[in-house]
Amino acid sequence: MQKYENGSANGRQTARTLTPSLPSVTVHFKSTFPPSSAFLPVAGERPRMDLSATPSRSKSKAKSSPAKPIAASAEVQMDLCTPSKATPKRKSKSVTSPPPTTPATPSTVRRSRRLLDTPTKANPEAPVKATPTPTSKGKRAAPSPKTPAQREPKRQRRQPKKRSYYRKVVYDGGEFEVGDDVYVKRREDAESDAEDPEAEECRVCFRSGGGVMVECDMCLGGFHLRCVRPPLRRVPEGDWSCQYCEAERAGKAMERPKPPEGKRIVRTAKEKLLASDLWAARIESLWREPDGTFWAKVRWYIIPEETAAGRQTHNLRRELYRTNDLGDIEMETILRHCFVMNPKEFRDANDAGDDVFYCEYEYDIHWHNFKRLADIDDEPETKEDPSDEPYNANTDYISDTDEDSEYDEEEEPTSCSLARRNQTHELAANSRKGRIYGLQKIGIRKIPEHVRCHQKTELEKAKATLLLATLPKSLPCRDKEMEEISTFVKDAICNDQCLGRCLYIHGVPGTGKTMSVLAVMRRLRSEFDSGTLRPYCFIEINGLKLASPENIYKVIYEQLSGHRVGWKKALHYLTEHFSGGTRIGKQANQPIVLLIDELDLLLTRNQSVLYNILDWPTKPNSNLVVIGIANTMDLPEKLLPRISSRMGIQRLCFGPYNFRQLQEIIISRLKGINAFEEQAIEFASRKVAAMSGDARRALEICRRAAEFADYRTKQSGQASLTCNRGDGVVCMGDIEAAIQEVFQAPHIQVMKNCPKFGKVILVAMVHELYKSGLGEVMFDKLASTVFSWCHVNRELLPGYDTLLKICCKLGESKIILCEEGSKHKLQKLQLNYPSDDVTFALKESPDLPWLSKYL
Amino acid sequence: MPTLRSATANSSPVATPSPAASSTPRSVKRRLTPGSAGQLPDASRHTSPHRSPHAGAGNVYTPKLLSASPKSSRKRLYGDLVLPEKPKWNPRGKSLNFPFWPAYPAQMRAVKEALHVATVPSCGLVCRDDEQNRVLEFCKACVEQEKAGSLYVCGCPGTGKTLSITKVKESLVRCADEMGMETPDELAINCTNLGNTSDIFGKILGQFLGRKKGSGKLSPLQQLQNMFSNKESAPRRMMMVIVDEMDYLITRDRAVLHDLFMLTTFPFSRCILIGIANAIDLADRFLPKLESLNCKPLVVTFRAYSKDQISDIIKHRLKVLEYDVFEPLALEFCARKVAAASGDMRKALGVCRSAVEVLEASLKDSDQEIGMVTFDHMDVALSKVFKSAVVDSILCLPQHQQMVLCALANTFQHCKKKATSLGELNKSYIEICRSTQVPAVGMLEFSNMCMVLSDQGFMKLGQSKEDKLRRVTLQIDSSDITFAFKGNRFFQKCLGLPRYANKSQLWICERSDACIVLDQSGKSTAKLFIGVLMPREVYMR
Repeated sequence: MQKYENGSANGRQTARTLTPSLPSVTVHFKSTFPPSSAFLPVAGERPRMDLSATPSRSKSKAKSSPAKPIAASAEVQMDLCTPSKATPKRKSKSVTSPPPTTPATPSTVRRSRRLLDTPTKANPEAPVKATPTPTSKGKRAAPSPKTPAQREPKRQRRQPKKRSYYRKVVYDGGEFEVGDDVYVKRREDAESDAEDPEAEECRVCFRSGGGVMVECDMCLGGFHLRCVRPPLRRVPEGDWSCQYCEAERAGKAMERPKPPEGKRIVRTAKEKLLASDLWAARIESLWREPDGTFWAKVRWYIIPEETAAGRQTHNLRRELYRTNDLGDIEMETILRHCFVMNPKEFRDANDAGDDVFYCEYEYDIHWHNFKRLADIDDEPETKEDPSDEPYNANTDYISDTDEDSEYDEEEEPTSCSLARRNQTHELAANSRKGRIYGLQKIGIRKIPEHVRCHQKTELEKAKATLLLATLPKSLPCRDKEMEEISTFVKDAICNDQCLGRCLYIHGVPGTGKTMSVLAVMRRLRSEFDSGTLRPYCFIEINGLKLASPENIYKVIYEQLSGHRVGWKKALHYLTEHFSGGTRIGKQANQPIVLLIDELDLLLTRNQSVLYNILDWPTKPNSNLVVIGIANTMDLPEKLLPRISSRMGIQRLCFGPYNFRQLQEIIISRLKGINAFEEQAIEFASRKVAAMSGDARRALEICRRAAEFADYRTKQSGQASLTCNRGDGVVCMGDIEAAIQEVFQAPHIQVMKNCPKFGKVILVAMVHELYKSGLGEVMFDKLASTVFSWCHVNRELLPGYDTLLKICCKLGESKIILCEEGSKHKLQKLQLNYPSDDVTFALKESPDLPWLSKYL
Repeated sequence: MPTLRSATANSSPVATPSPAASSTPRSVKRRLTPGSAGQLPDASRHTSPHRSPHAGAGNVYTPKLLSASPKSSRKRLYGDLVLPEKPKWNPRGKSLNFPFWPAYPAQMRAVKEALHVATVPSCGLVCRDDEQNRVLEFCKACVEQEKAGSLYVCGCPGTGKTLSITKVKESLVRCADEMGMETPDELAINCTNLGNTSDIFGKILGQFLGRKKGSGKLSPLQQLQNMFSNKESAPRRMMMVIVDEMDYLITRDRAVLHDLFMLTTFPFSRCILIGIANAIDLADRFLPKLESLNCKPLVVTFRAYSKDQISDIIKHRLKVLEYDVFEPLALEFCARKVAAASGDMRKALGVCRSAVEVLEASLKDSDQEIGMVTFDHMDVALSKVFKSAVVDSILCLPQHQQMVLCALANTFQHCKKKATSLGELNKSYIEICRSTQVPAVGMLEFSNMCMVLSDQGFMKLGQSKEDKLRRVTLQIDSSDITFAFKGNRFFQKCLGLPRYANKSQLWICERSDACIVLDQSGKSTAKLFIGVLMPREVYMR
């Protein structure tokens, strides 16, 4: 977004750009206004803030009654134009009263945009939807209790600087809200887009209206009940197909009725969409550019024909796929609403109108695979809230220049989207559009954005980057391995004929196996996007997520075709696919890269799952590349010889990191953040490298240490305002504490915190064990020791049953192991931990100073 | 089929290289011949051949080759430089014996394709004629006499069983045509693809009935039995049923396998059953009944390939390329190694391919001119596969894991015990930590480390409810551990610690440690134990 120095000049520009665009807009609503009145609401050029939140009624048939509401909404409009009278309260009422419909705008003018959503804080008394819209903060700058008239100029001055985001916009008579599904024009100048028949015509008599129509489930054509042979009385239950489709299915030829001469067939929007003349999309966000044009970010839907797999037999006629492709479009191109439903809603929607579609899967346009929407929505969404973006946008709208650079994009939509696309490829972390995959999912949930929006200290930034969930920008220390993986995949893919192969990656946990493979695949995708690589399909499966090993067939087939079948059937289809029989979908020769994480979990008793998966690449023309990841080094040796023979000899070992590598990893993550002492990092990495060489551990320790340091800083800040030198930096002490916490078992803490007599019992037990030299001690002996000690040291004597109870408690927490309680005082007790630990834990206990002399 | 494609490229007339054919490596090369024959190494250093005016054919290059840019052009450079040394093996004897392949990525690709497992050699199999003939004779006899029969093919993985049987199937169809018999149907089933073992009868029945659904009441097996038992219903055509990975059919009562073989004993059965599996004695072991019923299948054994066979097969596969890829010595080495280890052809092909990749990598790295895969490359590739890297990987382990291994070695070195428990191991590990003054890790972390070690195959952890009672056995030789730590004084110390044979001694030791603690705090009773049991350790402190 460009920055504008001069606000008022820009305002003029807005007016200019608007006017010439008017004739090009061929609005599909009839003009009911005289031209003069069309130009009357000039004030409407500046988008108005309307204070009401009109209940957005779903309106499948709303278009059918255009005439009546026009007047009402026109009135509103006139009302709006006389701003002197309009107090916020009145206006809200006046708008809520007419039903929200498609008020026919004056044909050539598209200036009836009103922004239905308003600063909530601006006038709290107005009956506004109380959603804390992100916009609200941004608009706080505008003085609230004034009339719109007074507010206008101010807005005028301010607006040109930034985009302003809205939740709901009335544009061209339709209310568009974030989350709505809409038709979008596909071509610039298609005449047919303008026409939008109210009702579908009957396929037999070619007249619309006049009675109930029934829809054929196969050709989606509409038929009058009376035109069908034999005529129907009522709409039949269940599936129904017209006589023509039935005849076609039976193999008979049957002429479909031709339309009468001279009559043009008008297609409905649904038909146009299914013939790929229109697009469907879902609005993700709405905003106004500084020049006054309205834009929307939309998520596209595609029809099955446009997927790589093509239309398949299981696709419903009205089925659409949601994609992960986002685009910025001008509101100008949006036609009207449609309704994309999930399977349940679709089943329940009986007569919801013509613009109802079914969507069960999301289609990944990059990897060409399908994911069930329910799965995606079930995932713990760490995806940034849609509200985040406007939020930031509005913070910098006020004053914050810090974030400005993010929005300094080109003004032009095309280059803008291009820029964004490139950007996503450069940053590995963002390339998945906020969705989380693979390693990013492991570990702790990301902290929501709004928590982090205050000015972060160095330590907090460090904590955020050290989270396991944060994808690092680069993966240091694994260059060699990544190079090997990428040559492996490329070798297999680049050829005209894909040679099926198999790669087994093994290594101890936390050495970046999955991360490296995913990074390589991302890099390959950007290569593929730039056109140097053949298209291929990438399927990622985690063995841990499968309910049973056999389910992997189901998952693979579902990702390839977007169709769910049982695993036996899926196995059958997949075997056919890979042995060169009938292929799934259109992507006949597209290579498939199959990544299976935790491969060892696919081991069944007779290992047939692994056999099948590893056998496919050895078939000619299978075009399958399998990458398996597991921890065990000797998995191939554990397998049946026939499977390890098919697995091939390609192995790749990820060894544990040594301390230098761990240090490099932590430092690369903390680049630009000055929160750690050098030695602290080295200490942590050395410590971890000595035990496991697990990068996750190292990051976790550092993050925990940062938390300690943060806590310390805050404490010292509260206690005394003097700042010592160590504040705000993680030092050795913090790391030490974190290591203690991570590596030490918690039993010492438990011992330290157990009740007084518990401590006495433990010490007495150590004493007794030492004295007797046996591994276990009888309870009554222990009790007598405790009594004598208490006597000597003038403690209150505990009861016998109290001691027994305490012993049971200790036994439950597995500090000691005791026999079953029925033996009562004859039960034998055993220490579960070395006696040194007890000594260490209880050496200095403040409440029992005499205890240490028995140790 | 890729090999076929390159074969046709060879046979295409030399004189007329059409522009369309220029994408195949051969013709490009041919076009280069006149130019590079004269101006050998001098011109090619700085200009890549397809730019050089001598070649005079720069315009015929397809864009694909051009876009392959610097790398490929450098490779071509090598090609020109290696030109003078002729390949030793040149079957076609033509004058275009180019030092072949570093020249073009396309040629490299052809080599890899020829070495790929899935590539079926176009001109038949070598080294399996004997077995193939036996199977074919058997099948032919069955077809001629219209009599059912069963055959069992066994052999190690990667000995060409499935491939041979597929070839036999094709030739049987051909033979039947020649003899004027009715061509037999064929059905190949891989048992791993069956959801349920008894599905196999459904598949066979479906093939016999030609996709028609039989009556729903009877199971497919019963229908098949009915069909074969009376003359009217018996099908006319023979059917060859190939059951791959037959041992997946073994159920607890072996009913499926038994019924399957019994199908061939029915009077009007038309099945030629060919089972393929790894086990030599599958039929004897699991179906002793068949012998008494006199329908024991004929057994054909596929032996593991010998070294000569392996090298023959690889040479045969590479015959479609008209250039030498491997030094004979390298090939011999590979064949010997693989034959000694397993005789698995897949492995041999994999090693060859990986050797080609080693060469590719070395071409990328250095500027040497290497014309073919040498012994050294093959050595690298083989060592990747066959070398056991125990000592190296021990040295790469994190320190504490190495100490755990030391503790394990200590326990097993001097006593005869074969296994210990995790708790015991932890104790001796803590002992080592104490003596070397390294802070020991907690039990949780310790068991974690043991898990990692068992993942890497150093030890084996048994299953147990209680973590401490899990059985631990050493999977590698303890002398390997001693060898790995030979030069390291720290670990020498770890390995030299005294060992405790039984629990009471262990306890005493534990107590003596307590004594040391007490000693520090000024108790005198400890001396007795220290003096008696732990002289060394006490001095050490």
